[in-house]
Amino acid sequence: MNTQINSDYVPDVLVIGGGIAGLQSALDLADQDLRVLVVERNSSIGGRMIGLSKVFPTLDCASCITTPKMSAAAHHPNIQILTNTEVQAMETRNGIHSVRLLQKPTYVNFDKCIGCRLCEYACDTEYPDPFEEGLGSVRAIAVPFTNAIPQKAVLDAEHCATCGVCARVCPTDAIEFDQQPRTLTIHTDSVIVASGFNLNAVTVKPQYNAARSSNIIPPTMMERLLAPHGPYGRVLRPSDGKIPSSVAFVQCAGSRDESIGVPYCSRVCCMYAIKQAMLLSGALPLADITIYYMDIRAFGKGYEQFFQNARAMGINFVRGKVARVDPIEDGDLRLHVETTDDAENPLQEHRHDLVVLAQGMIPAWNPAATTPVACASDGFVATPSLTDPTATSAPGIFVAGAAAGPKDIVDTIAEAGAAAMQVSRYLHEKRAAVLVGQAVHG
Amino acid sequence: MAMKTLTAEQKKALAALRESIGGISDEKRQKQKHLLTTRKALMKFLEQQPATVPQIAEALQISADEALWHVTGMRKYGKIAESGEDGDYPLYALAALEEKAHSGSQEVKP
Repeated sequence: MNTQINSDYVPDVLVIGGGIAGLQSALDLADQDLRVLVVERNSSIGGRMIGLSKVFPTLDCASCITTPKMSAAAHHPNIQILTNTEVQAMETRNGIHSVRLLQKPTYVNFDKCIGCRLCEYACDTEYPDPFEEGLGSVRAIAVPFTNAIPQKAVLDAEHCATCGVCARVCPTDAIEFDQQPRTLTIHTDSVIVASGFNLNAVTVKPQYNAARSSNIIPPTMMERLLAPHGPYGRVLRPSDGKIPSSVAFVQCAGSRDESIGVPYCSRVCCMYAIKQAMLLSGALPLADITIYYMDIRAFGKGYEQFFQNARAMGINFVRGKVARVDPIEDGDLRLHVETTDDAENPLQEHRHDLVVLAQGMIPAWNPAATTPVACASDGFVATPSLTDPTATSAPGIFVAGAAAGPKDIVDTIAEAGAAAMQVSRYLHEKRAAVLVGQAVHG
Repeated sequence: MAMKTLTAEQKKALAALRESIGGISDEKRQKQKHLLTTRKALMKFLEQQPATVPQIAEALQISADEALWHVTGMRKYGKIAESGEDGDYPLYALAALEEKAHSGSQEVKP
């Protein structure tokens, strides 16, 4: 791993995104002796998956799967990683992709930083931790999270009080207040777009009133509450630290809805809601847990059994649609539901003290604006060929994972492997053609 | 913790960084002051006895979600530890006092 590479470095493949899709592709390609550059806009690789608690349907620890892959990529001799780096533009000429990158300053010299965190312990400025979905706090200079890779401190200039204490305690003089943004252009034969997904805002549907209550939370926040090293060390509701006694999951709260511009199904919400409900029933054995759903889409291997197990565990499934969520006294929420489970009493009201809204998956990046890669009408990267689902509209540029559309971790990893093989085949054919050309023309 | 003195170059670079982020605004200064005074008051309050988040919020005259945020940050950096429950709420105590209670040691770490 070398975070200080320059424009003279020519990788065989540039991977955009250091999440599970990008890392799997990078590892598969690097093992074939191809040189890979991974570009990650955050301060650590690991993407969305490193923030999850457990994965469905096996309930394996998510970071136990992700961390070894992060570490393997960081230590692989054929993989270089640039963190805090964004793709600004890309153009293709004669089959060579020129990718302009912007590396943002971290104000820490990564060659000198030993990850001792003395700067972090000395800093007395804290702000809501983005890794903990704002629930916890992080200091203005900090290693982003416990198992972050690289294990290097990063200074957040926006929150820094510029007191200089970090530089005064750093044993290796790694703090560099005069670092500047750096642009560099990388020339490469092929690219994999693995830029992942975001969730639409928890406030996207005003009738769910998330802006009026901190106890109406997105699923990513529930993942952090359930994670062993989560912000509170246990499941508490964010408004006042109460141990929840009645938790509701509102499904399709940000997808399958034309009115908010997300008509498609986000594919993973049913399963993660069931997973979170199961984990919650373990963490809070006395709590009532209810999932309000339109239909359960348990499409993968072992998923239906997982759903049936949840029912058997006593998780309450209510078929219907939540029309409105109203904040009421004591920080609680009242859900107005129309259900098909009770023909005589279809309009019901239920009280809960914590509500999780299943937000819709939307693309994290729009490559169409600055690169030759086209996007489909849903905003995800277009994959024109049914028989070649990792190929984009641009030759030599492939896509993997949720950048091409909502998908779960299993499908993402399979697709990342497929994209790596397609890149490998593409490079082999491209280079063979060059050799043939040279032989023919002398 | 050993504190070094900033070199002239470091001071100059720090001043340049301060300028590049538009200086330290009054709002940012107030925010920082509020953070430090709240944390200090919280430590002092917990010296008396362990407390829940709503109790801390009431004593410090801040909202409960803000009290929880401070408790979370101080727990992360080892100042506060959980110390049982009171009804539906966990109790929080000073980590040094908790450690003393469990180890039986007479010394309270700073």
